[in-house]
Parts: sequence; C-alpha cells; structure tokens
Amino acid sequence: MKNDTKKISGAQAVMESLLAEGVDVIFGYPGGAIMPVYDALYDYTDKIRHILVRHEQGAGHAAEGYARLTGKPGVALVTSGPGATNLVTAITDAMLDSVPMVAITGQVAAHLLGTDAFQEADVIGITTPITKWNYQITKASEIPEVFAKAFHLASTGRPGPVLIDITKNAQMEMMHFSYDKKVYITGYQPNFTANERQLEVAATLLNEAKKPYIFLGHGVLIAKAEEEVKKLAEKAEIPVASTLHGLSGLPTDHPLYVGMLGMHGNYGANVLTNEADVILAVGMRFDDRVTGRLSDYAKQAKIIHIDIDPAELNKNVHADVPIVADAKQALAALLPKIKQASHAEWIHKFRDHDKQEFEKVKQADMHPNEGQMTMAEVINRLAEKTNGEAVIVADVGQHQMVAARYSHFTKTDSYITSGGLGTMGFALPAALGAKVAAPKREVIAIIGDGSFQMNIQELATLAQEQIPVKIIVLNNNFLGMVRQWQELFHNKRYSFVDLKNPDFVAVAKGFFIDAEKLETRDTLDEALDRLLAAEKPTLLEVAVQKEEKVFPMVPTGASVSEIRLE
Amino acid sequence: MAEIKLYTIIIYTENKPGILYRIADVFLKRKINIESLTVSEIETSGLSRFTVVVKGNKFAIEKIVKQLYKIVEVTKVIENTDDAIIFRDTALIKIGMKHVEQRREIENFVSLFSAKIVFINEDAMIIEKTGTEEEITSLYTRLKPFGIKEYVRSGRIALIK
Repeated sequence: MKNDTKKISGAQAVMESLLAEGVDVIFGYPGGAIMPVYDALYDYTDKIRHILVRHEQGAGHAAEGYARLTGKPGVALVTSGPGATNLVTAITDAMLDSVPMVAITGQVAAHLLGTDAFQEADVIGITTPITKWNYQITKASEIPEVFAKAFHLASTGRPGPVLIDITKNAQMEMMHFSYDKKVYITGYQPNFTANERQLEVAATLLNEAKKPYIFLGHGVLIAKAEEEVKKLAEKAEIPVASTLHGLSGLPTDHPLYVGMLGMHGNYGANVLTNEADVILAVGMRFDDRVTGRLSDYAKQAKIIHIDIDPAELNKNVHADVPIVADAKQALAALLPKIKQASHAEWIHKFRDHDKQEFEKVKQADMHPNEGQMTMAEVINRLAEKTNGEAVIVADVGQHQMVAARYSHFTKTDSYITSGGLGTMGFALPAALGAKVAAPKREVIAIIGDGSFQMNIQELATLAQEQIPVKIIVLNNNFLGMVRQWQELFHNKRYSFVDLKNPDFVAVAKGFFIDAEKLETRDTLDEALDRLLAAEKPTLLEVAVQKEEKVFPMVPTGASVSEIRLE
Repeated sequence: MAEIKLYTIIIYTENKPGILYRIADVFLKRKINIESLTVSEIETSGLSRFTVVVKGNKFAIEKIVKQLYKIVEVTKVIENTDDAIIFRDTALIKIGMKHVEQRREIENFVSLFSAKIVFINEDAMIIEKTGTEEEITSLYTRLKPFGIKEYVRSGRIALIK
C-alpha cells in the first residue's frame, strides 16, 4: 500500500484506512457532520457491512459486543454533537472493561471550531477522561497515520476505546493516500514479556504453597490464555476462581473450577480467599466488587499478580510478586517452573462450601417447585438446553448476577456483560454486536425489565438486519437489585423501584420481532425450545418472582469472609 | 500510612495539544490538588516538560506516576521529594511608593534576601525574587507592612541533583 498514492477524499481515506485495518463491520448512525464519510461508505458496502442502529449508545455497545467475540476493535461511526455525546456511556463502558473500540465522530468544519456551531460539542474534551487516546483530525492528510495509531492503541497492551474526531472539511479535502500499519510511539511500549526473576519467585511460592489459589480475570480471555491457566492449574492441582469477566475462561464443570469471586460470587470462592496462602491473580484488577473490605482481604496470602497494565499492580491490593506481562506469555513461561502437586484437602474445602451454598441458596433458587418462577430456574434450564455453549449477554442487575451464577459454560467467551461501569441497557445492543461477530454461535441476551427499557429501540435494528439474537426478559416489575438493597439495608423503603411496564410482547411485535410471554413453569421447557429453535430474532418474556434476592452477598464494606448466604 | 510530603513530579511528553488536559485529569479524577504547575519546551525539540508539585504519601504518588505513564504521549515520569532536587520559584512583588522614607528599609530587605528591584517609578516599585517557596514567603512577609499592591508567583521549576 505504501506507494499507492492515488488522490482521494478524506472520507474515502477513512474507508480505505478501515479496510487496511481489516474492518468488516461498522455500527453507526449518520448525521450532518459525518455525511461525507457516509457518502463514501455508499461505495464500500460490498466490503464493509454497516449496521444502522437506532441510538448512538447502541452503536457503542454493539461495537463492544463485536469486539468481545472477535478480539478486534469494534467500530462505531456517528455524527458530531449529540451523536458523539450519545456514545459517551458506551465509550466509558469500554474503558472500564478494557474493550477495544474505535469511535469515529464527525465534527463541524475546522473554521467553525469553538464558535458553538450547530451540533458542535467539545468531543475531545468530553472523551479525554474516558478514552485510552483520542485525536481530532482537521486535515485530510492526517487520516492514515491517525487511524493506524488508533487501531494500534485500541487493540494492543490493555485494550480500550480510542476516539477519532474528524472535522467535516477534513472529510471533503482531497489527499494522497498511503497507509502504513507500522506505528511507533515512544511513550507506548506495552511489555508483553514477564520478568524471568519474578517468574522464578512466583514459581517458588506456588511450589511451596499448601493452599494455592488462581484468580482468572478478563485478561486471560483477552490474551487467549485459557489453555495456559488450565494446564497450570491441573499440573499443581490449584483451584481456579473467576471474576465476572473471567467467566467461561475455564469450563464450569472443570474439577478445579470453584466459582465466581465477588459480591454475588460463590460462597467458597470468596470465603477461602481469606485462607489461601498463595494467590496467583491473572488479568484481573481487584475491583472493589471483588475484594469487599480491603483491610481484611487476603492478608494471609502472598499475592502474585500478572497484568499487562503496570498501573493495576499494587493499585488496590499489595502484590508480593508483581508481573507486568501478557497473561499467555507469562503463564506459558511459568508452567515449566511449576512442580506437579496435589492439594486434595484444600480443594475439598471448596466443595464443602459448595455444598452449603447449594443447600442454603442454590437448591431453592433453581428448583422452587411452587410459586412464580425464579430467575435462577430459567437460567439453569436454559444452560441445560444450550449445553452451556451459548453466548450469554447479560444486562445489569439481579438477572446479570443470576446469569453469571447459574449459567454453565463449556466454551470460552461465553459471558458478556457490562462489569466495570454497570451500564443498564448494555445487553440488547451488545448481543446484536456479538451475534454479528459470531453468527454461528447462539447468542442469548438476558435482560431485566428495567434494563430492557434502556436501549429497547435496538429491537428495530435487530428486525431490520434480521440478526437472530434470542432475548429473554426476566420481568419482576421491579428494579430488582436496587429493591434488594432497599429491602436489606433501607428497611424495605422501596423508593422508586416499582415499574409499571409496557406489554413487552406487544412492543416486540410492534418492532416485528416474534415474541411470547411465559407465566408458569409448566411450559418453560417448550417456550425455551421454541426460542432456541427460532431462526429469527425472538423474544421470550418470563414473569418471575417479584421479590427474589440474589445470594450469596458480600454487603458493601464487608469482608469477603463475611459473605451472607441469606 | 506513609508520611504526607511535597512531591515534584517531572513529566516528559510529546509536545501535542491536549496533554495538559490528560495530565490534569489524572490528578482531578483522584481529587488531588495541584500545588503548582509549569510547562515548557525542553532542550530536545518536540518534547515538553511538566513540573507538577503535589502533596501526597509515597504510595499515592507511585500510583499517580503509573497513571501518568498510561498517557500515550508521556515518555518519562520522575517523582522527587524536595531533598533530591534543586527547585526555584520566581515571584514579582509590587509595592506602592507612598512611603518614600521607607525605601531604604525595603532596599535592605531586598538585598538581604538576594532579590532585585526590577522596576521603579513615582508610584511603585517591582521586586523580583527567585528562590524556594519558603524564601519567597519569608520576603513577602517582611514586605507586607509596606503595602503590597500586587504579588505573583510562578510555579516551581526543578532539576534533579
């Protein structure tokens, strides 16, 4: 490409840059300041699929869903002003969850910048705190270099969102196009290789450990290091717990998998954090939802922390052995240093706790037998029917935690949610993006009735593009998680959590999406079968218990060992 | 908890627009007040040097340094306590000339503090003092009784010893 210097418009250069980066799908919404790019796109529809969302936030989350399953940056294309500001939540979401995204926003012509022109917003200013990098292009000639830099930054090191703001004049100017994917940035040299001496120290600790414990985080999935974690765990018989984003990194039924960490994680996984003597934390960031009260968190353990982002080491939890590296590389290098071992008694402790959790929580959750259906019951049946092979895209709230707790995963990259930001309205567009990324996989959005009404407009996108996402709305006519907190911590003062909902089936049908509502458990099986057999986007609304609570729970400010089962 | 001290953080960056915003945001996001800030181009062209003075403990500052490194355009960050650097501020102090009889006294202080009178007319004189924040404050206190009309101080600049 280097010597190819045909003269093209900035807008065409945007298209050529996207092609050079291997982009095949864009999620977007046109508008005044991005019209030249949309005009150029008109000639590229054989090479790039554009999916017209119904709100720019939807484009952002769809790009995230796409990125989560492909590992490639998701691309969102929107106009200036409100188009760009509508994207802000999704960009922030991608920032907190380390999702590669390239957001392209139109901007008023350069000579109008700073004049409060029509649909002008200071997008660079607004997105500086929520992007890994951003840049405003005001001349067409800048396009190739900036795009190469943007894609490089979004997808390497700790992935994240970058934003390119392009003034309208830059889209229209003519330029000589040549594209060089090689990018060198002095101040950005992510370290992929673990320090050998640190690995030795880590290996010694693990080899001497009586109660070693592995935490599997999102970084493992990003680095595609699932096999390495598994091999290491198996070699020394080390139990593995997962963070919310680490879910499905190790199959749920793996003998060494002990559950999820954190506020609504599993009982043993949390309690035994405070008994382990060596913790190997990989690609995770000790978020407050994972750690609970820090002053009582894993104080007895030596912590080996592997992360690609040096700023995560010693941020929340002291790392005895900090290792800056790509998870795959570091684990592969660590494996030969690890001696075979067995920790049967230690593993047994987890199983003991599992039993308690099953008796006190899971049994009643999954098999209530009477009264209205529970969320856990639905998720559990769904997991059985899909053989744990579906991609579960969960929104935010109780259903998110239930979906995390009761799904069985047999394949990696099977649980997508908004973890860091906790963005309600995430699941529908993210599932759309995920299905576009992996059309062969069954993609099921699990959404609460509250969350569904944020970004419900994306039903139209699903219908127009005929993207066969399956949607399960777990409807309790409440903002369930907030209600649970109000019940437990605010004397049942149910302040504004009661939802008088629309008829979701009618709404879906209005969008030309097949839909049905399920009220009783005797037809749950058939309803799920119909949903899974559908070849079109389809919605199943399930009426669930109004006041179901998610347990176990580490209340805010409590220690992980104070996790409550009831 | 480690002791709260003044830290002078020297940040080398590519000289591009928007970096100041990103750097300021690292502090803003964590509600850390910036005591002083100076920016200049450095001898190697194309690079800027930020000198940021903040109060904090060792651990908080270490975290800040790592966050600063995450800014793509940042090439180097060095955090220093005061004993590791030579640092200076410059202050300009304007004094009204009502009290001509006190001029000698003012001149005495100026010379005692190795400051300079850099401007004088029938209404006012302007004194320039370069030194540590302490020295400047001390001179300021001595001159205050003479009626300071205006006072301005630069941010800190520093070199590592």
